[in-house]
Amino acid sequence: MMLRVDLHPTHVSEDGKYHLRVGKPLPFGASIVPGGVNFSIYSRSASSCKLALFNKHEPQPFCVIPFKDEFRIGNVFTMIVFDLDYENLEYGFYMDGPFDARQGHRFDRTKVLMDPYAKAIGGRDVWGKNPDWNDIYQHRARICFDDFDWESDHPLETPIEDLIIYEMHVRGFTKHPSSGVKHPGTFAGIKEKIPYLKELGVTCVELMPIHEFDEFENSRISPATGKMLMNYWGYSNVGFFAPKAGFAATGKFGMQVDECKTLIKELHKNGIEVILDVVFNHTAEGNEKGPYISYKGIDNKTYYLLTPDGYYFNFSGCGNTLNCNNPIVRNMILDCLRYWAADYHVDGFRFDLASILGRDQNGAPMHSPPLLETLAFDPILGKCKLIAEAWDAGGLYQVGSFPAWGRWAEWNGKYRDDLRKFLKGEPGSLGGMAQRLQGSPDLYSWEGRGATASINFITAHDGFTLYDMVSYNGKHNEANGENNSDGGNDNYSWNCGWEGESTDPAVNKLRMKQMKNAVAMLLVSQGTPMILAGDEMANTQWGNNNAYCQDNEISWIDWSLLNTNKELFNFFKQMIAFRRAHPVLRSSGHFKNRDYMGSGFADITWHGQKAWNVDWSPDSRMLAFLLCGMHAKGGTVDDNSIYVAMNMHWDMHGFELPKLNHHMEWYVFANTDAEPPFDIWQPGKEVKLENQNEFLVGPRSVVILTGKDIK
Amino acid sequence: MDIQMSKQEGVAIVTLSGNLDGNTVNEAQEKIMPLLAPDTKSLVLDLKGCGYVSSAGLRLLLMAAKQVSGRGGTLALSGVCDEIKDVMEMTGFSNFFKSFPDINAAVAAVGKGGA
Repeated sequence: MMLRVDLHPTHVSEDGKYHLRVGKPLPFGASIVPGGVNFSIYSRSASSCKLALFNKHEPQPFCVIPFKDEFRIGNVFTMIVFDLDYENLEYGFYMDGPFDARQGHRFDRTKVLMDPYAKAIGGRDVWGKNPDWNDIYQHRARICFDDFDWESDHPLETPIEDLIIYEMHVRGFTKHPSSGVKHPGTFAGIKEKIPYLKELGVTCVELMPIHEFDEFENSRISPATGKMLMNYWGYSNVGFFAPKAGFAATGKFGMQVDECKTLIKELHKNGIEVILDVVFNHTAEGNEKGPYISYKGIDNKTYYLLTPDGYYFNFSGCGNTLNCNNPIVRNMILDCLRYWAADYHVDGFRFDLASILGRDQNGAPMHSPPLLETLAFDPILGKCKLIAEAWDAGGLYQVGSFPAWGRWAEWNGKYRDDLRKFLKGEPGSLGGMAQRLQGSPDLYSWEGRGATASINFITAHDGFTLYDMVSYNGKHNEANGENNSDGGNDNYSWNCGWEGESTDPAVNKLRMKQMKNAVAMLLVSQGTPMILAGDEMANTQWGNNNAYCQDNEISWIDWSLLNTNKELFNFFKQMIAFRRAHPVLRSSGHFKNRDYMGSGFADITWHGQKAWNVDWSPDSRMLAFLLCGMHAKGGTVDDNSIYVAMNMHWDMHGFELPKLNHHMEWYVFANTDAEPPFDIWQPGKEVKLENQNEFLVGPRSVVILTGKDIK
Repeated sequence: MDIQMSKQEGVAIVTLSGNLDGNTVNEAQEKIMPLLAPDTKSLVLDLKGCGYVSSAGLRLLLMAAKQVSGRGGTLALSGVCDEIKDVMEMTGFSNFFKSFPDINAAVAAVGKGGA
């Protein structure tokens, strides 16, 4: 190897043990360079900085090296330290500077601070293992190899309208003993379940937060159950660049980065994309009473939104608010997303409480937030899906109005609410439902956003599972230990006649049908569908609609339900296959409501008990629509026509079928009123209808027909 | 860590005993690299006496395998314990190695050029 004079040591540490040299200010963080490690950290207001080096797990640093004056470039402290055994190394910083809360400064030179750019973080290597609370350095920055061999892998770049998203918690997906995997609750566990995901047919997994968090944050014993409550969901970042070690079976060996990347590579190999749920609205440091982990002690004023008195704004509901539109923080977020896109081959991101990302440094919503615009136009993120949870805990609700630049999609909360209202037969719900089925043109037709702006979902981690939505009228969060006051109250759920578990066959039958109705409607809607993991087997949380702290059977998916509820799994599987087989269900744009292909039918037409005639009155609970196959994907591909009749009334009703062109006939694909195996067919194996003029749709039932050429 | 070199049926064998981690990886690298001379077509790394291979250790094995395979040769592992095998599986390293229960099987396979 050629010797490079720019990598030659120029200084020696005070103890004479380490050779040093001024570092490169960029990239921030710790980078392996020939012969050493380059450390670089920003602080605008620190007066001095020291690097603390620890051997893995050891309580005290083996060496503390001050950054010499000549190692500070602008507001960046940077230094190369040579000859480190970086596999066994943990590093942190001591920062000195003013403590003046009113001015926003909270420096404490006694605290060891984690690098905001740490690519791996130790301290919680094994999930749930009790930490040593006397440890002066709880969350420890580590150096990781960035040499993963991806071979020919790259992000899949599936058009967003073709995705079927499956939202899961890494631990909850396989932690339950019934999962049968070798390493329950880990990235490796998900990898073992890839054949299952393929059989179900989903094309994208959305992982709830996998950035390093502290499962012990605010851990406590539930007064209601006596069980330990933990920060299970993990919407509270310790570090943004590191995967959660406790989610990796190899976390105890410090190999979480490799395990996480291996999972992504294997999912890609099987045609499944990966979207990460990212939490840039706050950190785990809480407010002025919270711990020093990193940002607070490095540059409090830069990283957090502060009131004029120096207290923390709390738009996140979690104690603090990240100062997203400060240029330094903005760059950190951009660096972070680019890192996950480039180094982890992640296909997209879902931004938790994304409206916070559009607030200015005083907390006011901005018209064109620079961060959101930057992300929309960033070259490295150019093919990544960007999905916003378009609201925050400070009262900003932007569903339909989130700044988009043609790039941002949204979790469509109105879809969830309108579908649930229609499903339970609430009066006056037809108009909203009609919009939701079309990809919500009422919300997304401006600036050409189209149907792909809408991520459609009925259930998500936040709220009832699908089974609970048809089994509980109200939430049952007593186990959370907050007197059932936490969690949303606007669930629009209906228990089908009995609250909770029931032995009444009629109740259980209706619940099964309602679940089928819901998923049928979801998968024939324009926009991108998202399913909550476990809904396909009727997983229950026993009415808990806010299981953020439940690291136990309440949250873990019970795989034995797959045997009990085979018919539901099959219904999901066939519905997913049906959606994937029919491009007419997956338009990127909205309907034009006219016949621009000369087929004799507009792209979408509405029907009711009478063809071409809908009763839109508030008491009506029946709606049908016909998608003309010749108009699929804006008329660019040919498809069957699809007719969907939804009767959310409690009685059976006849629906007059619209007449197809003379060379076509109606075939039944699904009828939720029928017992299996007649409830759904394999796509392509639909059964021809004897009566081509009318279909008797059962009480609270959905029927799906395909119009195909006469054979 | 104890590192022994031997030959069987013309195939070079490196037997690693102890832990292959940050403390020992440099020593192992110094001994293995000369064996990766341009004319080396096959190599067996026997890990039977190896209880732990760290992230850096796995990277050394991978680098050796890539060097040999880059010249059309083969590197085989033998005697890998279940725990290490499991870690290699979860972290993707197993994709790059042929692994055999013992030295004889590994030598037979690489000797035929069929590993």
